[in-house]
Amino acid sequence: MKNLKSILLAHHGTAGALLAEALALETAVAGQTQIVHLLVVPDFWDGMQGDDWLNNASTRDAFGSYVEGLLEADVKQQLRALEGRCAELGFAYKPVMRQGDPTQCLLETAVQEAVSMVVIGPPRPRGVPGYRSRMDIVKLARGLHVPLLMAARAST
Amino acid sequence: MVYTIKSSALLIIGIIMLAWAGLNNSGTIDGMQSYLLASDYKDHAKVMKKYEAQLKAATDKAAVAGEPAPEMKMPASKFDQSKATQSKMSNFFGGAFVLIGLFTLVWKPKPGNLDYFVSVVPGIAYILLIAFIVRWGLDPIFGNLGKAAEGTLGWNFAKIFNLNYVVLGIVIGIIAVNVFRIPAWAANGVRTARFFLKTGVILLGTLYSAAELAQLGGLSVVMIGAFVLGSVGMVLFMGKRMGTPNSMTAVLSSGMGVCGVSATVAAAPVVQAKAEEIAYTIGTILIWGVGCMFVFPTIGHLLNMGPVQFGAWAGTGILNSAQVAGAALAFDPRSIETLKVAEIFNITRVLFLPVIVLWLAAWYVKHEEGAQKVNLTQVLVAKFPVFVLGFIAMFALSSTGVFAPAGHYKGKYFSSSEIKEDKLLKSDETSALQGELDRLRGAEGSQALSKYLTENHVTLGKRNVTSDDVYTALTELAANKKIMTREEDSVLESLAKMDGLDETAKEAIGTAHKAAYHTSKSIKEYRNWIAWLFAFGLIGLGMQITGKALKQAGGAPLVIGGVVGTAKAIGSLIVVMLFVKEFI
Repeated sequence: MKNLKSILLAHHGTAGALLAEALALETAVAGQTQIVHLLVVPDFWDGMQGDDWLNNASTRDAFGSYVEGLLEADVKQQLRALEGRCAELGFAYKPVMRQGDPTQCLLETAVQEAVSMVVIGPPRPRGVPGYRSRMDIVKLARGLHVPLLMAARAST
Repeated sequence: MVYTIKSSALLIIGIIMLAWAGLNNSGTIDGMQSYLLASDYKDHAKVMKKYEAQLKAATDKAAVAGEPAPEMKMPASKFDQSKATQSKMSNFFGGAFVLIGLFTLVWKPKPGNLDYFVSVVPGIAYILLIAFIVRWGLDPIFGNLGKAAEGTLGWNFAKIFNLNYVVLGIVIGIIAVNVFRIPAWAANGVRTARFFLKTGVILLGTLYSAAELAQLGGLSVVMIGAFVLGSVGMVLFMGKRMGTPNSMTAVLSSGMGVCGVSATVAAAPVVQAKAEEIAYTIGTILIWGVGCMFVFPTIGHLLNMGPVQFGAWAGTGILNSAQVAGAALAFDPRSIETLKVAEIFNITRVLFLPVIVLWLAAWYVKHEEGAQKVNLTQVLVAKFPVFVLGFIAMFALSSTGVFAPAGHYKGKYFSSSEIKEDKLLKSDETSALQGELDRLRGAEGSQALSKYLTENHVTLGKRNVTSDDVYTALTELAANKKIMTREEDSVLESLAKMDGLDETAKEAIGTAHKAAYHTSKSIKEYRNWIAWLFAFGLIGLGMQITGKALKQAGGAPLVIGGVVGTAKAIGSLIVVMLFVKEFI
């Protein structure tokens, strides 16, 4: 594809994201396209201390640091893995980390990074374990000003 | 880092509160208040009618005597008092918020303590404004609508669905965070809700008598002990059968067994739970807790449960501690007797927490290869709920008689010397008592009295009450027109239950008993403040419950949580209905 300067790839290591990754790397042009890797820490984590009120501040801090540590380790692992694969195939790589609503983060990043295309994975089939934090496809399609490419589901 | 966000919101909230106080003081909104404070307004109408009659009589008397019409001040009715309370609170907080709001707008904040303390005020004002609207507005509106619809529906929907200030406050908190989002200027202050709830629990310590605390404490230790251990064991068993990871089983069992989200927060780092396990568990507990908070009070009313029964059931059966307080207040929003019971259960749960976390840590280390060992002392110290010490300190202070005379019961105490002149027995009542005294001294009467005292094992402390005790108590009461000692009160209360006693004498004993017991002003104030602190805290906690967190409920935790949560709720209901009586 001509003038494909950058592809925004929303990727968090799920099965769908791996399909999106494969599609993005297949679509990208080596030496020309930059892979912008968007990794969103979903905003539901903001409410994950719920309405706990019995614990001391130190216990809540310990929990907060623990969860942050888990998420940080996960993010680092995802970034390292995709960066390595991009390097192998000769694509420039740029990580973008965001915390918030996944759809909103993707729309904002697409504008900020002035990407040529957005690639996402197929919606997770119902019943498959995973966070309930899905991309709002309709909102995405309405909000994006660049082509949106969605990977096909894996054939079963 | 600077926390204070420059915004005129605090100033506006302050002005709204001051305006409400002004409208109340001027009487401009008396028409609306007569609807909102309907029962107080009935009292107002009575007081006004009485006052007008007295004024007319005094004016007529003065006219006959050729004197100028007398000036009489109308006594304050409950309606006036309620309006005055609203004005006082609105003036106090509104004034403070206006001053701090103006200060925030002109001040250049620098990092430090002052910046932090100023930054929490707008959030506090935001919650307090909602609390005012809910308690003074929505609560009475729903109450009135419920009563009005009773004729058509045949039942009071506001009562059945517990649409009172507590439930409405939590619901508005949940709506505020999920629909409108918490404004940035309020975010810091909203987090202080926990502090106010803990302050409420500490103040609750003033309301217990030693006997109450001992009985409730014993009951809660037995029930919480059995159901905590039972549900922790059940989750561990189900987790093993369903093949869930050890870390997930451990974190879920703490949440299901002890005190919901608080236990999950405490246990997750210790049992090295994974991110998605934490999300599933907290989502499941929150969704279960919020559901229970609405369902439990309705079932409680349908089963006609009393405060002790409902407090014990909610305190054991509801997974999440915040919703225990919410359900207790939703069930019984006017007095806080149910909350008193439920909070003892909450305190017992939180005292169990360090022990259960240790147990689960040991279980996890045993079952998981490569698991890090935990420092037992560190866990015990870190997880110890410090605010419980405050509760115990307030209870100890209350027991020494700082807030009410020592030996008070639910804030009420006996004092003969404080009985006002108008509360003394009238001559017809003392005559009736004298008549009964003479009758009971007669051959037939003394025989009947002696038989009654023996058959009913009437005791005073450790000794049996004799006929002479009764004669002395009756003589003293008839002579002094009031009960002189607590012992005599106890003897007379027993006598009043005797068959064949003259009705007027019986009523006189009841009147004298009522007159001798006084409510401690400070305890009354504490009760009022506790209700406000819990309302404030629960609105704030409602603002921490996000739909996105609730949506994470799922996977094995939802299945296990559903089974264990249901078993715990039904099991504790059966135990409460069978064995817990209203004995406190």
